[in-house]
Amino acid sequence: MTLDAIREKLHARERLSFEDGVTLFRHPDVVAVGQLANEVREGLHGDRTYFNRNMRIEVTNVCVASCLFCSFAKLEEGAPDAHTMKLQEAWSELEARLEDPPAEIHIVNGLHPGLPFSYYEELLAGFKRIKPDVHMKCFTAVEIHFFATHYGMTYLEVLQRLRRAGLDSLPGGGAEIFHPEVRSRIAHDKATADEYLEVHRVAHGIGMKTNATMLYGHIETFEHRVDHLIRLRTLQDETGGLQAFIPLAFHPDGNAMRNLLAPTAVDALRTVAVSRLLLHNVPHVKAYWVSMTPEVAQIALRFGADDLDGTIVHETIYRAAGSRSPSGLTVDHLVRLIQEAGRVPVERDTFYSVVREYPRAALPESAVKVRDRKANKHLEVLS
Amino acid sequence: MTAQGVDGRLRVAAVSYLNARPLYEGLDREPASGRVRLDCASPSEVARGLAEDEVDVALMPVAAAASLGELRIVRGCAVGAHGAVRSVVLVAERPVDSLQELAVDLSSRTSIVLARLVLRARGRGREPHVLGSAPRDAIAAVGGARGALVIGDPALEIEGRFPYSLDLGLAWLELTGLPFVFAAWCGRKGALSIEDERLLENAKLAGLARRDAIADAHAARAGQSAASLRSYLNDAVRYDLGDEERRGLQRFYDEAAKSGLLPQADVRFFDDDRGKVSSTESLDTLLARAADGERLSAAQGERLVADASLFDLGLAADAVRKRKHPLEVVTYIVDRNVNYTNVCTTSCRFCAFYRPLGHPEAWVLSREQLARKLQEVVDAGGVQILLQGGLHPELRIEWYEDLFRWIKREFRLGLHALSPEEILHIGRLEGLGVRAVLERLHAAGLDSVPGGGAEILVDRVRRKIAKAKCTSDEWLGVMRVAHHMGLRSSATMMYGTVDTARDRVGHLMKIRDLQDETRGFTAFFCWDFQHESGTRIESGDSGTVLYLRQQAIARILLDNVDHVGASWVTQGPEVGQVALRFGADDFGSVMFEENVVSSAGTTFCMNAEAMERRIRAAGFKAARRNVHYDWLTQPS
Repeated sequence: MTLDAIREKLHARERLSFEDGVTLFRHPDVVAVGQLANEVREGLHGDRTYFNRNMRIEVTNVCVASCLFCSFAKLEEGAPDAHTMKLQEAWSELEARLEDPPAEIHIVNGLHPGLPFSYYEELLAGFKRIKPDVHMKCFTAVEIHFFATHYGMTYLEVLQRLRRAGLDSLPGGGAEIFHPEVRSRIAHDKATADEYLEVHRVAHGIGMKTNATMLYGHIETFEHRVDHLIRLRTLQDETGGLQAFIPLAFHPDGNAMRNLLAPTAVDALRTVAVSRLLLHNVPHVKAYWVSMTPEVAQIALRFGADDLDGTIVHETIYRAAGSRSPSGLTVDHLVRLIQEAGRVPVERDTFYSVVREYPRAALPESAVKVRDRKANKHLEVLS
Repeated sequence: MTAQGVDGRLRVAAVSYLNARPLYEGLDREPASGRVRLDCASPSEVARGLAEDEVDVALMPVAAAASLGELRIVRGCAVGAHGAVRSVVLVAERPVDSLQELAVDLSSRTSIVLARLVLRARGRGREPHVLGSAPRDAIAAVGGARGALVIGDPALEIEGRFPYSLDLGLAWLELTGLPFVFAAWCGRKGALSIEDERLLENAKLAGLARRDAIADAHAARAGQSAASLRSYLNDAVRYDLGDEERRGLQRFYDEAAKSGLLPQADVRFFDDDRGKVSSTESLDTLLARAADGERLSAAQGERLVADASLFDLGLAADAVRKRKHPLEVVTYIVDRNVNYTNVCTTSCRFCAFYRPLGHPEAWVLSREQLARKLQEVVDAGGVQILLQGGLHPELRIEWYEDLFRWIKREFRLGLHALSPEEILHIGRLEGLGVRAVLERLHAAGLDSVPGGGAEILVDRVRRKIAKAKCTSDEWLGVMRVAHHMGLRSSATMMYGTVDTARDRVGHLMKIRDLQDETRGFTAFFCWDFQHESGTRIESGDSGTVLYLRQQAIARILLDNVDHVGASWVTQGPEVGQVALRFGADDFGSVMFEENVVSSAGTTFCMNAEAMERRIRAAGFKAARRNVHYDWLTQPS
């Protein structure tokens, strides 16, 4: 299967096959693959490129799972660096930012065995008390599955109780790689692929939107990646509830797979592009700058991605794994990254409704300082 | 001359010669003056303003216009002659065809080229040696086998003083049967509207009517004969430019190009482009021609920059790369950037590294510090050092010679050292020419010259960001001398300050032109200005997408430069890797240290293993190289 044949399929609006996906991953010319993805992206979104004002909070890093790729989780309470926030501690993060408040709070945690379910309900309700219109995008499908088994409820019961407390949508984390050959080795003691997908299915069934992810660049093959994407495409055929797909690059520092090397930027761009091409039925593909660095994320806006995620502020999971990306970006910085890529910045809410549109033209030259890499100083390295 | 045009007025420049005044004088008066901004300047400054896009149209000598991309000329207006012109003459004590030396006023390139073409044709290929000289000195030097080319007022003053003289307007007519055009209104394609041209025509009509007044005023100021000047402006100089004059000018350009005196230029009028369906090539054709390795003009390059997508450029650049390097090998070098001092006298606005002499943080590396750094390079399997500093006001050439000899004696490392700015600095300090400095340093061990400090080779930009630095011609001049001596060098570009897309293409054209002449550039690298709070200018155009576009357009336009490198040091290893798919065939240096960029806040490090891994992950084989881009390891 050549690129031309795939291009013809795309023009004929045919969906791509498993083999097409593998061909795209293996094709030597990443730029040509990117160009195909860019055509699809521009067909869907033109030059519009989205971001939001969001805020990451991780309330606990205590986790019963032992995923090999994780540098964040501490297995039990009391372990060095283990930390679980008091509710007020979590709420204070929002209270401290009410001058320039986030539109969305994105909470992802470890699977803590010792907290009552009411902790999570109060957590959500408390944020809504402080700012009733803030969007709560919280708990991965893996956490929902854990809550269901740990507290003896169905997925539906968990989701409905959390929704009553303030939950608005689910983030896409925890998908890792679905294929059992990989999942059984890197994430054997948490939700399986089917369980992950079922949580999303149930959420979609009650009208709750979700995102999905893929953690790539460790021990998986290209076939495993394509399998992963096709499972998501099949779910989306059924429910239509996925808003965005986010490829996540594996970062090796400080975890059990630290002997592996992180995927390179060419792989990151290729994965964005192939995701855009295979997931024709998922509206948005994110260039998650925390995972890819803002610089490569900017290029990804021309390789199929239409969303930069958001301002984030205080991301800790990738930082624990050695990411060199900053922990947050200002709105000005995001706008400039998008404008420099020749795109039109659109600030969105979680459901992709427009909050504010920005002009295509560049900002005045002195308006923003573009680079601040000083924080990432490295020492001299000898080969 | 400063950039105008923000007020919507036509930006006009003109050479301030008497014979040109009837064409532009009317522009200073109502009603034109409200629609025009007029600057009068020397021919070289007028040419620079036009080349650097500070003016829309310039009344300038035709030789200087020949190198302008997409040259267009206003129909109907010129400074020319149909026969004797009186103001451009060869004078001598013996018949001009027997001269062995000719003293010329170097400021008038058009007349020099005309004189040489005429003498060559008359002497069947033989011509006298041309010696540069000040106008009055040229006249004083006439005698024996030495004649002079005299231009302008002095030519009118010496009429009848020498036994032999040759009026070059007349000589051209005799040679070709055609009129000669000395100067015309020149600009780039599309720069003028019909209304703009009408403005210039009306100014000419007004000016011709005032020729006597212009002559009288000049005569009074210069103490010359008013009658002679009136006759000169009314009879000798012709102000028309029609099809006959166009043929004369085209003939001049053709003959000059054939003799290697000027680049080939086509005479086209602004109105040639009007009234036709757009005859420009489609973008796809242009990209296909680029991918096929054809040479593109500056205007075609600008078109690509304006209209081509990132992918268009990337795929075309990748095709050019593949054509030049079909084995799909990407090279890198194990070397070390050593800055011998941070003392510098230029205080460039974009630099966070330099300190003035005597500053508490100023330093010059000791031999012990250097020895430690160089031994580390040797131990790491390195093959050269890139040695650069600031412009230290007290280090003499002997200091460099001793240093180079010591390095060559103690360490087996290539010496890629001293950018053009430093060579010029040492020359000024020692009262030596560029060639003398380079010869002494080469004898002491200099192997090749790094291409730093090029920034943007457009003087408007250079004056803004690096006022004390050399001009673009000086930078290119050092490289020319180095290349003629057999020293190779790299070429660089730092963009993203006050430069425009046209400036960046212009920069590439200057490198390409010199490369045509010398073939001395090994490779081209570019990067954007690295902003940091310690510097005093703000970023202009930047971003990683622009970097990829910029590198790709360089690969496309620099058809005569073998290698293009990805600047991962400034863009980061990730973007640097992606850049390998946008036309680069080299990944630069394994990084030990680099002080200048890192003091501006960019600090990345990458060892050889990590470089090779990224090269392979981008789909290439990796090989180590030396400064000549020879492989030192088997590609794998």
